[in-house]
Order: sequence, then C-alpha cells, then structure tokens
Amino acid sequence: MDAVQFLQNFLNGISIGSVYAIFALGYTLVFSILGIINFAHGAVFTLGAYLTYSMSVGQFGIGGLLAGCQIPFQFSFPLSLLFGAIISGVAGVLIERLAFRPLRSRGADPLLALVSSLGVALVTVNIIQYLVGSEIYSFPGDVYGDIKPAFMFHISGRIVVVRTVQVIIFAVSMLILTLLGYLINFTRIGKALQAVAENAATASLLGINVDRFILYTFFLSGFLGGMAGSLVGTSFGIAGPYFGVTYGLKGLAVMVLGGLGSIPGAVLGGMVIGLAEAFVPTEYNAYKEAVAFAFLFAVLLIRPQGLLGRSQIQKV
Amino acid sequence: MKVLLEAERLCRNFGGLKAVSDVSFQVVEGEIFGLIGPNGAGKTTLFNLMTGLTPVSSGALHYRGEKVTGLPPHRIAEKGIGRTFQNIRLFRGLNALENIRISQHVITRSGLLSGILGTPASRAEENEVDERARELLKLVGLADRAMEMAGNFSYGDQRRLEIGRALALKPQVLLLDEPAAGMNSAEKYSLTEFIRTIREQFKLTVLLIEHHVPLVMNLCDRIAVLNFGELIAIGEPAVVRKDPAVIEAYLGAE
Amino acid sequence: MEGFLQNYGFLLVTLVQQSLLAYSLYFPLMAGQLSLASPGFYALGGYIAAIMATVEYFAPWRNALGWCIFPLEWLIAGIISGFLALLVGIPALRLRGIYLALATIAFVEILRVICLNLEITGGAIGIFGIPQLFESRWSYILTFGPLLILTLFFSYRLDRSRVGRAFKAIREDELAADAMGINPTRYKVLAFVIGAVLAGVVGAMSAPFLNTWNARQGTFDASIAYLAYVLIGGSRSMWGPLLGGALLAALPEILRPLKDARLIINGLVLVFASIYLPQGIAGAIGRIRTITARKPGSVRSPK
Repeated sequence: MDAVQFLQNFLNGISIGSVYAIFALGYTLVFSILGIINFAHGAVFTLGAYLTYSMSVGQFGIGGLLAGCQIPFQFSFPLSLLFGAIISGVAGVLIERLAFRPLRSRGADPLLALVSSLGVALVTVNIIQYLVGSEIYSFPGDVYGDIKPAFMFHISGRIVVVRTVQVIIFAVSMLILTLLGYLINFTRIGKALQAVAENAATASLLGINVDRFILYTFFLSGFLGGMAGSLVGTSFGIAGPYFGVTYGLKGLAVMVLGGLGSIPGAVLGGMVIGLAEAFVPTEYNAYKEAVAFAFLFAVLLIRPQGLLGRSQIQKV
Repeated sequence: MKVLLEAERLCRNFGGLKAVSDVSFQVVEGEIFGLIGPNGAGKTTLFNLMTGLTPVSSGALHYRGEKVTGLPPHRIAEKGIGRTFQNIRLFRGLNALENIRISQHVITRSGLLSGILGTPASRAEENEVDERARELLKLVGLADRAMEMAGNFSYGDQRRLEIGRALALKPQVLLLDEPAAGMNSAEKYSLTEFIRTIREQFKLTVLLIEHHVPLVMNLCDRIAVLNFGELIAIGEPAVVRKDPAVIEAYLGAE
Repeated sequence: MEGFLQNYGFLLVTLVQQSLLAYSLYFPLMAGQLSLASPGFYALGGYIAAIMATVEYFAPWRNALGWCIFPLEWLIAGIISGFLALLVGIPALRLRGIYLALATIAFVEILRVICLNLEITGGAIGIFGIPQLFESRWSYILTFGPLLILTLFFSYRLDRSRVGRAFKAIREDELAADAMGINPTRYKVLAFVIGAVLAGVVGAMSAPFLNTWNARQGTFDASIAYLAYVLIGGSRSMWGPLLGGALLAALPEILRPLKDARLIINGLVLVFASIYLPQGIAGAIGRIRTITARKPGSVRSPK
C-alpha cells in the first residue's frame, strides 16, 4: 500500500470512525449514568435516519403504511439532520420512561433492563417497518443542495476521493464532540451529570434531581444516536429498519474498546475501529464486518476496562 | 503448642494506601484469637488476605507449615479454613438448608455424571450431606426454618446461619468477621458460649474480628490490635488492654 | 388428527426446538453466566450436520451407515461444540456480567462472518437440499422430543446434585461460593460447555428438519429470543425455558391474524414481562403457590 492508498484509507477510516464515535457516545452516556447497556440505542439510530430522510425529501418512502405520503414541509439537509436528532432525543426520553424507569423503581436485576430495552427496540423498529416498509432508502444525490457530492484530489497522478458526506460527518462529529466536551466539563449541567454518574445516591443527597438528569442523559443519548443514524443513512443509504442492529452491536464493540462509560474512550474507540476497518486489505473485505468484534473479543480478554476505562475494584 | 497459622510480614497496598502494613503473628492450635482495632484499621482486609479473596502485596502466610499465600479462596477452603463475612454473604435466594448443603462441597466428591445418573455412591453422599446440614441447622438453632429463604431471616439469625454454613466445611480454622454485630447483650452472651462450645466440639481454632471489646476480652485467649494497618499490640487480653499504644489508638480514634 | 398434524406438526416441533435452545442458555444462567453464545453453537452444529450430509467427502460414511449417520452427526456436533466452548469459555468466563455477554456476542458475530465466507459452508447461500431423516416434519418430534425429555431429566437431577448446587452458589454470590470451596471458573466453564453442547446437538438435529442451513441461523437476534424465553419462562425453574420457549415461539403463530403487528406485540410482551414478571412465569406461579400455602399464624421475620 503506498502513500496515496494510505491517505484514502485514512480518510475513510476517520470518517466512519467519527460516526461510530458519535453512536458509541450515546451508549456510553447511558452506561455511565445508569450502569446498563441500552439496547434500544440501535432503534433511535434507525429512527433518526428515517426521520432525516423523510424531512429532507419531503415524503415518506415507498413502502409501509405511509407509502408516498407527502409531508407538508421539507427542510434543507442540515435542518432535517437537526430535527431528526431532536426527535430522536425525545424518543430516547420516552424509552427511558417506558423501559427503564419502571425497572429502576423496583430495584430490578439489570438483566431485566436489558431485555426490556430489547423489547422496546423490537417495538420501535417494527413500528418503523409498519409505517415505512423495509425497502432500501437512498438519499437523493442533491440532498446537500449546491455542494458537490465529492471532492477529488490529484496526488502524484492518482485520485483521492473525499465524499462531501464524509466531510460533513467529520465536521459534525468534531462539532458535537467539542460541544459535548464543553457541556460536560464546563457547565453546571455537565458537572451535575458527572456527579450522578459517579454516585447517584450521593448526588441526590446533594440536591441534584437525579431523575431529571437521567432524562437529560437519555435525551442527549437519543440525539446522538439519531444523528449518527442520519449521517450513516446519508453516507451509505438506509438498508432497512434493521440496519440499526448491526451498528448497535458495533457500537457496543466501540464502547467497550474505549472503556465503558468513558466519553473520550468512545471517541478513541470509534476512531480505532473505523481505521481498522478502512485498512482491511481488499482481498479480505468480506471479513471487514468481523473486525469490530474481533477487537471487542480481544479487548475483553486482555483489558476489559478498555483503553481509557477505569478498572473496577471489587469490594468484599 | 502447635502453630497452625503464621502470618509473615503481610502487606496490602491500594494505590498509595497501606491497608495492611507489615503484619506478622502466629496462631496456635485450639486458641480463640481476637483481632480488634478502630474502624478502617485493616482487620477485614487482613482476613481477606488470609482467605485469598484479596491478593497479597507482599509477605507470606503459612498454614500447618505449608505456604498458602496467593492461593485462590476455594483452595484455602479445601485446606480447612472457613469464614464468615462482615457484610453477611449468605446465598440469599436459596433456603437455609441449601446454604449449608452448598458449603459441604469440599468434603464431597460427586461429579456431574454421577450426580445426574444418581449412582448409589452419589445418592448416599446426598443423604449424608442432607443429614449433616440438618444437624448443623439444629446446632445453630434454626432447624425449624430449614426451608426458608436465607434472605428473609433476621439479621441475628443470618449471622447464625452463616456460622453454620462455615462449619459445614469441616474446617480446622474458623474466621469470624464481626459475628456479634447487631446483637443485644443476651445474644452476645449466647454467642460467646456458642463459640466456646464449637471450639470444643469441633476441635476448632477460631480467629475473631470484633468491635465489642468486653466480649473479646472475655472470650479470647489472645488478642492482636491493629491500627492503620499496623499491628500495635499482641498478647493476652489483660496485658493488651493496659498497653498505652492500644489505649491511645482507641481514645485517639474517638 | 391428520389435518391437525399437517397444519400444526411443524409448529409443535418448532416449539420443542426453541425450548431446547432456551435450555442451552438456562444452564450457563444457572451458574449466573449470561451467555449469548448459543446461536453460534447452534449454527456450528447445523453446519456440521449439513456438511456431513451433503459433502462428497462423507459419501462413503453415508453409504456405510445409512440412517445412523444422523446420530453420528449429533454426536460429532456435540463434541466439537464442547471443545470450542472450552476454548472460548476458559478465557471468556473470567469476565463478569455484561462483559461476558458482550464477549459471547462478539463470538457469535465473528463465527457468523466466518461462516458467511467459507466455501465449505456455502458462503452466503449456505447449504441446501439437506437429506431428510423423516418423511414428514411432524416426525421430527421423535428426535427433538426425546432430547427435550432428556434435558428436563438432566435439569431435574442437576438441581438436586452437588454440581447444581455449585452453579447456584456461584449465581448467588461468586465470591462467597469461592470462599466455601467452589472453584468458580471450573464450574462456570462447565455450565457454559453444557449449554454449548446442547445448542450444537439441537443445531445438528435442525439441519435436516429445516432442509437448508445458512449463516442467518446464528445471529444476535436469536440469542435475544432465547434470553427472552428463559427470562419470561422463569430463569430459576427447570420448567421456565419450556414455558417461555413454548409461549414466545408460539406467539407469532397465535398472533398471525395480526400480521405485521405481531413483532410489535412480541416486543411489548418482552417489556411488560420484564417489568411485571421479574421471576418469569414459573416464578410467578411459584410465588402464588407460596402465598396460598402459607400456614396461618406463622410469623414473618422483618426484612
């Protein structure tokens, strides 16, 4: 592989890595606050993608109950992205209400929270399928308006392609990460979230309304998930309502690699896996899907707390 | 008098914190050995080091002359050291009888196949296990509650059940971590008698962490005092109670 | 009778088969291990049977053994699953709780991708035209049925045996179990292997039953389905997996008139059951029995 190929792979890797990072952030936020894995995250990912599609194209798709229905409004892509993410955030809150809160108030086994979130994921994904069918959706080529769909750079006689969507993805990710970093570290809300993540009981004794912050977290998590889904949707198309499931699993791998509950970890993990996938030699393309899981398995065996997680001290 | 248990310069560090620092002592066969000290002195950590639940940072532990440092808890249990826990770690979702059947694991041998097929040997073993469990329940006064879930027992009863469970291993050494916590005077008294009884009956050596100083003074043959992870005094109760370092540790901790 | 069997024979066999897969999760869970690895071993077992039944290399075996090739397939599937479980389990079972679940998820995905790409497994298309053991689908109850009975017997005996107690102790409190002389790793691996062997054998039995076999047999969704069977049937009772498996596998059929809504209902069942039936159906039945059986005048000790 020469320098040009390396550059191309690197760019592809960073691009997909940022999506993984955003997606894993949603997972990791919920885990850091509640100590559980929200399997419904893949569902908000899917939801976000469909919402952004519908809003930017102005109608629902070609299958399902809402086939061909026109939406009375149509937004530019950036706005659709934003609204899609916001609605996904609301969905995240609903999920918390339906699937997690009743279990928390009963002090139930975390395993049951897992099953419950899976149930919610199933319900959500199937409602989507019922409403818009299971065909593949591709965003129209002109969805970005006047910007070209791809940029080509000529380097020593060869072409390196950077798709617009990759630039958008990267820019959006960096923006989100910066905002999130600022939020968590420099605002009161962020500090309260950190407190709740550290120890919910103590935080509540300090006057922090834990329930409200759990809501904020789920909103944020849903927002991020929905955004990730939209970005993937524009980049690769939406391959049916279940496409969130595979990403969901990969997101788990990213989260564990980076360290469960660690925000910088989610970013690092996302980049590592994105790059690893991009650098898989073409003859092994078929095994690309397994890369994330091979990493996951290896990390769990060698260093379960991930790259940036703290190791768990068990008290006897 | 035979030395059963020997701790040699045991240390346990958590980051910069020395939870147990250079602790050495010997426990003689058949004695009741008390371990006291203010909260956070490292007593439970020391127990955990001795039973393999926490790895040793440095130092060694010998049992019957054999080095047992670094062995996992189940191997130490096999060797004949049983224990109870400060926070009571019964199998709460299982009934009392089952709790005591479980801890007979090291003194039984049935494997998967013989257990499933119900060979005569394994059936005979099951009967023995059952009987022994019932006897121990009777010993701790809980015979009529064999089928109740351990998690439903009162605090005091749970402690008694935990002792019964530890006895089922047929240990030679029994480590009791604050067995009298939460008991009233009458219960403490009967616990003292009980520990003396089982020492006789089962030929035990007992190590005991306890906060209630009168109980310890009354029951123990010798006492060791821990403060900030260090052993500051060791000897007979009457001597230790007058030791200035000990008095300061307790008064200073007020 | 004939009509009933024609229409429902396939369903009934499927219910038994799904319950068996629930048991493959139940045994590790008995030792407190959330293993989502069953679909991997199920797929593996099916591939082994499918390969032995169709590939040229094994033709002499097929000719020599006749129908006995089928039990041989089950045996080999079980053995290979067991070995793989040991290989994967010994390192993986040092992990606790969710970490173990994730490792098993990773294992299943890796296996799935490998199977999608190997020539011997037929790639994405898989293996089809697997020779049937019986003429009718209903007759497969003769293979799955006895396996279920054996599994039930096994669970019954296990619950009352030393090894079963070790499992339960580990599930309740692994550290305390360790301190009581039980080697956690050894028994966790054992539980894992038992589950894996069962899943592998069921896979081998299922390959002829389903006639084709491909990588879609071993996916993450399947492990979720099995988990739901066990949790909703009741993870602490030997009847749980059967109750849960039979009910939840039958649900899509029962709900068939609702067409697209059935998976939604399925999801809702999962949510409500996990909230309102934390001990599963078997647990709820058990609780009802305890409440009605309580003797008058007995004093409950305060919690």
